[in-house]
Amino acid sequence: MSATVTAPPRTVAAPARRDGVRARRRRLLVWIATHALAIALALMFVAPVVFIALTALMTDQQALTSDLWPRSWNWANFAVVFQKSMLLRWAANTLMYAVLGTVFTVVSSVPVAYALARFRFTGRRLAFLLVITTMMLPPQVIAVPIYLVWARLGLTDSLWPLILPLLLGDAFSIFLLRQFLVTIPRDYTDAARVDGCSDLKTLVRVILPMARPAVAAVALFQFFYCWNDYYGPLLYAGVEQDHLTLSLGLATFKAFHSVQWNLTMAATLLVTAPVIIVFFFAQRVFIEGVTLTGVKG
Amino acid sequence: MASLADVWRRREGLRALVWLSPWLAGVAIFFVYPLLSTVYFSFHRYDMYTLEFAGLDNYRYLFQDPRVLTSAKNTLWLVIVLVPATVLFSLALAQLVVRLKAGAGLFRTIFYLPSLVPMAAGTITFVFLMNPATGPWNQFLALFGIQGPDWFGDPAWSKPSLTLLSLWSCGQLVVIFLAALLDVPKHLYEAAAIDGAGPWRQFRSVTLPTLAPVLMFALVTNVIYALQYFTQAMIASRVASGSTDSPGSSFSPGYPDESLLTLPQWLFQVGFRDYSMGYACVLALLLFATSMIFTLILLRQFRRAEEAS
Amino acid sequence: MRFVPLAVSAALALTACTLSGCTANKEAGPSLGAQPRPSGSAAQPLPAATLELWHGFSTDAEVKAFEDAIKGFNQKFPQITVKAVKGVQDDQITHAIRGGNAPDVAASFTTDSVAQWCRSGSFQDLTPVIKQDGVDLSVLPEVARSYSSFEGRQCTLPLLADAYGLYYNKALMKGNAPPRTLSELTALAKKLTVRDADGTIKVAGFIPSAQYYENVPSHLAPLVGARWYNDDGTSAIGSDPAWKKLLTWQKELVDWYGYANLEKFRKSLGDEWSAKHPFYQGKVAMVLDGEWRNAMIGNEAKGLDYGTAPLPVADDRPDLYGSGFTAGTVIGVPKGAKHPQQAWELVKYLTTDTSSLVTLSNALRNVPTTRAAMDSPDLAKDANFTTFLNIFAHPKTSTIPASVNSVFNQEAMQTFMEKWEKGAVPDLDAGLKGVDKQIDDKLKLSGG
Repeated sequence: MSATVTAPPRTVAAPARRDGVRARRRRLLVWIATHALAIALALMFVAPVVFIALTALMTDQQALTSDLWPRSWNWANFAVVFQKSMLLRWAANTLMYAVLGTVFTVVSSVPVAYALARFRFTGRRLAFLLVITTMMLPPQVIAVPIYLVWARLGLTDSLWPLILPLLLGDAFSIFLLRQFLVTIPRDYTDAARVDGCSDLKTLVRVILPMARPAVAAVALFQFFYCWNDYYGPLLYAGVEQDHLTLSLGLATFKAFHSVQWNLTMAATLLVTAPVIIVFFFAQRVFIEGVTLTGVKG
Repeated sequence: MASLADVWRRREGLRALVWLSPWLAGVAIFFVYPLLSTVYFSFHRYDMYTLEFAGLDNYRYLFQDPRVLTSAKNTLWLVIVLVPATVLFSLALAQLVVRLKAGAGLFRTIFYLPSLVPMAAGTITFVFLMNPATGPWNQFLALFGIQGPDWFGDPAWSKPSLTLLSLWSCGQLVVIFLAALLDVPKHLYEAAAIDGAGPWRQFRSVTLPTLAPVLMFALVTNVIYALQYFTQAMIASRVASGSTDSPGSSFSPGYPDESLLTLPQWLFQVGFRDYSMGYACVLALLLFATSMIFTLILLRQFRRAEEAS
Repeated sequence: MRFVPLAVSAALALTACTLSGCTANKEAGPSLGAQPRPSGSAAQPLPAATLELWHGFSTDAEVKAFEDAIKGFNQKFPQITVKAVKGVQDDQITHAIRGGNAPDVAASFTTDSVAQWCRSGSFQDLTPVIKQDGVDLSVLPEVARSYSSFEGRQCTLPLLADAYGLYYNKALMKGNAPPRTLSELTALAKKLTVRDADGTIKVAGFIPSAQYYENVPSHLAPLVGARWYNDDGTSAIGSDPAWKKLLTWQKELVDWYGYANLEKFRKSLGDEWSAKHPFYQGKVAMVLDGEWRNAMIGNEAKGLDYGTAPLPVADDRPDLYGSGFTAGTVIGVPKGAKHPQQAWELVKYLTTDTSSLVTLSNALRNVPTTRAAMDSPDLAKDANFTTFLNIFAHPKTSTIPASVNSVFNQEAMQTFMEKWEKGAVPDLDAGLKGVDKQIDDKLKLSGG
């Protein structure tokens, strides 16, 4: 509020004090209106989480009613979820998928993006076109033949068919990194070249330090993509509870405990919590990374 | 005679090829090969045991299969309603956050966070919240005298319900638009204000032109995501149908009334539940053709943007 | 640089592999009957093994009963460990077998996949080992043998059977006898329904919706004697007038409630597999259900005063009264089982051992499938359960004929019925012909 008072309008000439007062009042009203709207919307965004939390603490009887507030606080529901499901095992599987997937993606995509952004060669445009095409390709298009290959190799019923391909680059990550790398002025790499650096050295010594935010963003995106993936594990993870990932496990948990909404909601919260916690530790990287995807070309 | 090292240094194309080779191999294995064999399988009858030539049978069935039309219609709905609604809502939210003087960071975080919630979790949550018997959403609407429908259980309302879910998790776009809005040079607004332009005129003559490429990019990528729409629809159907996810009864995707059936789900069902791999490949090619159209639009957009800069 | 040859050779290997169809099958055991084995397992004990067994039971009580039956097997074969995986559905079994990750033994609640499993070889033909071990299949009723085999291949064996009948809540019946015909059912359902002035249903006499729990087309068809297929495997739904009779009856009752009211009521009901089942809670007077509901009532709604009867039948088909739908749990050894010999022993034990069947039947209240078990004095027979034993034994009792597209066909009919009861089908005859076309087109696609 004080900001409004201490920053008088400069663009408007001040012939009369009355006008100033009116403008100030109008701006105050706009201030109130926008903030009120923002608060209302923010409440709508937060409300689902609050209701999940409240339901997670109800008894299963009460969760089936239209009550909003728990009559008794059943913190034990969370413990029951751990007993009735292999939540920790699912988390471990998901973590393996996400960590390996992220490491593989970064290691394999950085060189490709580097080459696309830095080297001049015929077919460069074609290569970029290929990146975009594969990035936009619905995974279901190629699902059948790929599945058959993995089945022949005996690797279905595991998450490897989802992890191993990332060793050969991920189109979205390549795209994102490339978009960032082209913005680094050529002078830097040229200077390195003059100093006799090889391509690899240039990448490691010059490019990577500058591209740290982009690499971090790619890593985070890939991590979250793997962490939240449902379609991939649905196709490959099999039926045994100890092979599932969190997303898939949550869906089957719902199927087994369809009436126990309190437990389902507790499980939902437990699955969501790590994501939110990670976000608060890496907020900056996230926001910068998302901004990168907005690319203006 | 030039030494090998010299050739190596001078031939940038060769070096690029080496750097690109793992990825090119990836493209060959995970894009070119599957695409070719999808075409191959589409002319065959294949259930993972026996492979026999089927001529155009699979293609013929495409026109007999009522679910293709159903899922095409559903996808079209997503493209026409869900995508623009999400993009416009995100833009509006971004505009709002830009105008906030207090707590902009906090609001940005709040609007962004739901987009990180795993889709499976978010979908289950919404089905529960919007359940007419137990969820609070209809109670909330009742405060305004609105009698809420049976959201995820009513074929007329199931897609709008997913749209609400999509609005809730639109944070990614909000942040993108926010960055783009902050990029709009301030002096342009000031100039427009001096010309006497109102907020709407300012938006149209200043914000929109600067934002156009970002907006276009967002629109096209989201259309392509709509073509791939799978997880939310699949889980919403499963959770909302309730009784059908027990063993002994088979699950047909798209509940209620195939209103949430999308092409990727039908492809999954045909290929990996019914093992009509040949026909699934025809569906895959259809999906590929559709997504290529939008990819080409996107590519043109890119070229234009690159020429502009 | 060293990436290139590696990646290229990998790509080539993959392509060659897929095109030539080489199978890098994991250490799958030999198929059944491949090696001759002297009969009399005691003489030459089977080597130790851990078997993976997938089954569809999901409630705690069922899972426990099933695991108790496995314990009986363990006493006989202590060297064999059985790891049971619960709540597995047919499509998951098929998916795993085709993906090369088959369990050693798999059991399914439905018989829908049997045709496809037998024809494709997903489940191993048990005929050689049945002969080898001298198992006498004539102890199984004809109908149970038919739904567990296809085109001469006995690729599964019936474990326990399900028969479907009518359950009624005695208090809500207000002294009325259970209906014997569909028109009696309609009249009684209307009489027993309790509604608010605005149509909100408090208690329903009978829920006619095909979306309600067990009211699926396959369970309803025997009520009117409706036929699914012609002799050549094409659909008979559009040409058999019985279907039209069934749907007309159903729609009339749905409309009496009002579709919207019925849907609202149906959605407010507790889950079918929980203690909040509407029948336990006195929200419906009569339900179509399987014999296993007896066991669930015993576990979850002990005080409930209920009765059972055969399902009411079409008014012009009194000969059908007393019959019903039957199908059952089937169990077999998938292709790619790691320990097929031990798996077969387990299948044999579970499907033929009288005391095991009786124990399992008593716990789950499923109908035992062998004559010896049905006649066993240890089989608990109360009046409510005997109803289902009689339905199972009735000569007109039927199952859905095997078809490779069984699931698809039933779904096509189910989807149509949902549209129909909602009032979205203007012309019933044309609609049923449309179902015919769907089924026949699909048949052509799958090369039948």
